Amino acid sequence: MAGDTGEAQLQVRFITKQEQYAVSDSPYAIQSNVQSVELNTLLNALLKENRPSFEKSVEFDFLICGELLCTSIAEHLQEKGLSTEDTLEIEYLERFPAPSPQDCLMHDDWVSAVHTHGSWILSGSYDNSIHIWNTKGQHKLAIPGHTSPVKAISWVSFNGDQAIFASGSHDQSAMLWVWNVSGNSVDCVVTCRGHEKGVECLAVSADAKSFATGSWDTNICLWSTSLSDEDNVPAKKKQKPDQGNTREPMAVLKGHREAISGVQWMDFNTVVSSGWDHLLKIWDCELGGIKQDIAGNKAFFDVDWSPLSNSLITASSDRHIRLYDPRSTDSIVKTTFTSHTGWVQSVRWSKTRDTLFLSAGYDGFVKLWETRSPKTPLYDLSGHEDKVLCCDWSNPTFLVTGSCDNTLRIFKAKHATGNA
Amino acid sequence: MPPYKAGLKRKVTSDKKSDNVVEDKQDSSSDNEIEDLLQGDLDKESDATDSEHEQEDDGSDGERDEVLFDDSADSVLEEDPQSEESIDESSDLSDSEDNESGDSADDDESQPESDEEQSADSGAETGTAPSASGSSDESNKKNQILKNENEKSNIKQASTKKKALKQRQKKKMSSIDVLASKIQEAKVSTEPVQQKDEYESGDTSDEEDRVNTAGEVPMWWYNEYPHVGYDLDGRRLIKPPQRDHIDEFLKKCEDPEFWRTVRDPSTGQDIVLSKEDLQMLERLRQSRVPSATHDEYEPWVEWFSREVLATPLRAFPEHKRSFLPSRSEQKQISRIVHALKMGWTKTRKQIADERKKKKERQFYNLWGAGGQVRAPRSLPAPRRALPSHAESYNPPPEYLLDRREMKEWDKLSETPWKRKYTFLPTRHASLREVPAYPRYVRERFLRCLDLYLAPRAIKMRLTINAEDLVPKLPSPRDLQPFPTSEVLRITGHEALVRSVDFDPSGQYIVSGSDDGTVKVWETSSGRCLRTVRLGAAVARVAWTPALGLSLVAVALGRRLLLLNPGADIGAHRVAADTDALLAEPPPAHDVLMDERTSSCVQWEVVDAEQWARGVRVAVAHFKPVTHVAWHARGDYVAVTLAEGAARAVVVHQLSRRRSQLPFRRAKGLVQCAVFHPHRPLIFVATQRVVRVYDLVKQELVRKLQTGAQWISAIAVHPAGDNLLVASYDRKLVWFDLELSARPYQTLRLHGGAVRALAFHRRYPLFASAGDDRYLVVAHGMVYNDLLQNPLLVPLKQLPGPERSGELCVLDVRWHPAQPWLLAAAADHTIRLYA
Repeated sequence: MAGDTGEAQLQVRFITKQEQYAVSDSPYAIQSNVQSVELNTLLNALLKENRPSFEKSVEFDFLICGELLCTSIAEHLQEKGLSTEDTLEIEYLERFPAPSPQDCLMHDDWVSAVHTHGSWILSGSYDNSIHIWNTKGQHKLAIPGHTSPVKAISWVSFNGDQAIFASGSHDQSAMLWVWNVSGNSVDCVVTCRGHEKGVECLAVSADAKSFATGSWDTNICLWSTSLSDEDNVPAKKKQKPDQGNTREPMAVLKGHREAISGVQWMDFNTVVSSGWDHLLKIWDCELGGIKQDIAGNKAFFDVDWSPLSNSLITASSDRHIRLYDPRSTDSIVKTTFTSHTGWVQSVRWSKTRDTLFLSAGYDGFVKLWETRSPKTPLYDLSGHEDKVLCCDWSNPTFLVTGSCDNTLRIFKAKHATGNA
Repeated sequence: MPPYKAGLKRKVTSDKKSDNVVEDKQDSSSDNEIEDLLQGDLDKESDATDSEHEQEDDGSDGERDEVLFDDSADSVLEEDPQSEESIDESSDLSDSEDNESGDSADDDESQPESDEEQSADSGAETGTAPSASGSSDESNKKNQILKNENEKSNIKQASTKKKALKQRQKKKMSSIDVLASKIQEAKVSTEPVQQKDEYESGDTSDEEDRVNTAGEVPMWWYNEYPHVGYDLDGRRLIKPPQRDHIDEFLKKCEDPEFWRTVRDPSTGQDIVLSKEDLQMLERLRQSRVPSATHDEYEPWVEWFSREVLATPLRAFPEHKRSFLPSRSEQKQISRIVHALKMGWTKTRKQIADERKKKKERQFYNLWGAGGQVRAPRSLPAPRRALPSHAESYNPPPEYLLDRREMKEWDKLSETPWKRKYTFLPTRHASLREVPAYPRYVRERFLRCLDLYLAPRAIKMRLTINAEDLVPKLPSPRDLQPFPTSEVLRITGHEALVRSVDFDPSGQYIVSGSDDGTVKVWETSSGRCLRTVRLGAAVARVAWTPALGLSLVAVALGRRLLLLNPGADIGAHRVAADTDALLAEPPPAHDVLMDERTSSCVQWEVVDAEQWARGVRVAVAHFKPVTHVAWHARGDYVAVTLAEGAARAVVVHQLSRRRSQLPFRRAKGLVQCAVFHPHRPLIFVATQRVVRVYDLVKQELVRKLQTGAQWISAIAVHPAGDNLLVASYDRKLVWFDLELSARPYQTLRLHGGAVRALAFHRRYPLFASAGDDRYLVVAHGMVYNDLLQNPLLVPLKQLPGPERSGELCVLDVRWHPAQPWLLAAAADHTIRLYA
């Protein structure tokens, strides 16, 4: 102790919201230069003291003043401008376990879009094809159909043996497909034609009754996902059995001045879109009007909405990821996440945790972020050798990314024991 | 003086005359006449008074007369109520006046009567008086009788008075003298009656216990009576027993108080003066203030001072006069001021000053400038160098010349100005031993000569800080957004990329390379979407600015190709429209070109193979194409041919498939030609000059001298009023066409030849690149206000690609909407900066 004259002593108290890891809230004196590793060992020792049944050591993350501890406590406090005199409350929570690379699925061309549902992975490629994989890495089907690179893809619904998915491509069309799982046959049911330029993004509403596409022609089109057009189903089937029938959009939302880069459903009739005109727009689908404009100062590349945290996460043309709260009247950025060294092309929220999201950047990294740690991501998922174009976390277990190196990588997220 | 009095005086004088000069008065009729007149006057006067009284109350007339003239004691009782009545009535002012006048009339009457009586004494005119009075009417007869009685009684009185007087004056005067003195006396006695204050007597009578109410009558009237007057109750004041001289003497001897006993003339009583009276008399005699209690030297209380009192001492307000400045004083002062102004008078201070000055002694200023006007600014003589250590009397040893130096010193004796010193440093043990300097006078003289003969001038120097010369520029931080880093490196070409361009929406990039391909890329990902192999090095690519067309102009050797980049690039409809538009050429009769043009330009027929490759239009020229520029509407293309001389610039019209040669004569080696964004102007850059031509009027509008050695590229600001010229000698020259034909600013931002430059269409940005490793992004704000000059701020040096050979960056382009910069590099890459 005498040797540590330079280091200050800190009074800390450990609190947690995860009851199975609760310890007594009596304050402890620790050195101020300790990091989360030392805190982890201390906390595990405390837990073992209290509960003999507790055997397996658990990794924890520590929140000090609402921000994740990445450096030593002293540096963290200095950054926050807090005094070391008071008793410090350290909240701890079980660390999200590191995802492990599980598989690498080779494509013939750049993977531009990916979506998972259950154990099925749908991927779109620049070679105009769509691929269906299962999570074990087995290639189920390659679907040619589009005449231009597929830029967006999404599962619509699984109904027993029949799975429906939608795809958008630069050939100015979106397509609705029906995949017979057991028979492993796919059929293009509807071709949605309404855009004058390439479709850039696509999102299916939560009730799976409609989907929205954003395009380079600055419009958002809303389409129905119903497979049958009531009025002229038989005629179309006769005419083009392979291509299915064409469909007009339910509604066209016009308002952006530049290309639309991302579109997401917020609820059953609200759509948020991001554009290259530096704007986020929230649309009312029933009225077809703009509910809210959020102005940024860089072109947006992607947007995602989390119903868990009620906030928007955006990727824009300056390497930063920004967290917006659409409920705040002004477009004040809540947090800016800075770690990527290239453009971030895609961001996706976790479907189960309100503080976690995934980002894919042109620097070849996929990063797993915790919203309370704006400077440092939780994990860098490396493996891609070129620009990462898309990512997906629809299945909480699998983190799927597609890249310019013609691969689609699957990372397996172990379930945190606390969340189980 | 009333007239009757005047008459009285006259009469008196005439009496005197008659008395003095003539004894027999009856002879002089004139005198008589005067007397008559006077008498008549007098009578009338008395009549008048009487009549007045009669008018007042006739009944009381007799009583009154009795009161007045009867001296019986009974009548006094009767008189009292009358007098009281009169007093009561005297509340009325006129009445009292009447009373008074009556009194005075009585007095006056009594005097003439006495005069008459005296004149009767002389026995002169007794006969005339009744005759005169006889003329008065009957009503006055009774009065007349009474008067006569009065006269009688008056005569009696007069006789007694006369006796008393005679007793007093002891017969020493003649009768005339006595008369005169009497008249004077009477006159003296009359005067206080007239001047008397009517309240004065009353006041005094109240204070005294024993008061004589007889009034101010001569006391000798009472000489023959036992009393001297009446007290307040009307009782007679009995005279004290008369004392003769013996009594006086005896009393003087007996009475110890005699010396301070005086007789009160009004009462006739002896009064013993009290001690206080005596003291008062004593003080009066010493001409001091009578009252002993009065303190002459009591402290002075200055009641009226300049101090403003809270309560004024005087109840009345200040007079208006006190607030108004005095007019006369004002005049006086203005007169003085005028005199002072005109110098006629002097103030005391001036006079004192003059006097003082006169007293001071004047000395001649021996050291003064001497009246001669010197040069406006005298130059100080140059300073001599301060003495060094060598000049010390005891110099440090290193300053003393050693042997070698002495030898050198001696050697230079012929040319002493080459010596190290002008003197020989010598050492002295003490200052005392220092001898006189032999050359002192001569050196001083030479110095004076130098100063006198050498012309000198002050050198004016300006001290300017280097920082002040640098213009104040805003911080680059405030001028965001601008590209700051490389975000995409697009690889795929196999040779250096000559040229790049964006499509009008910014979704695609087209690039032309030396490997004979034109490639179309997706901007956001850098994905190559289309490759067109053309077989020869592509010099230039340019996407049409027309939104309804999907065409890329490609300069390929001597040919200009218009490519449709592909059905899946951009909107399908636009691509299809473009194909439909260009599928068949317009009718030939519409395409008329003169021989000069057709000799150098050949519109080729596109064969099927080329059509499949995307070529829609092909134009062959007689010289290699170096530069291609679209008109803003997309119908015209300006093509610059290498070494084309007069036919170096060709303008192709796409819709009519026609070419024009705008210039007849060669003005120089044309580097490039660029259209004005919205006016029918064309900018033609030759080696050193940029010329601006009007295409409609077909004339030279402007000639811009760049000052550069060899122009490499020009770019027109999207607003059209500013021009940027890049040159191979590392310069960027900004022209403000509204301002002048001279460069507005010359920027030297590059370390090598500048090969490419571009203006951003929306943001106030421009970029330039060349053979050095850096791309320069600068802020070039052009204001709508004509008074404000463009603001040029270099913002960022973006690290470019490595040099390959001599070349580094060959072309730069801005994204149409975003602040992104695209550079075609010589290392086979295309780089996007954002």
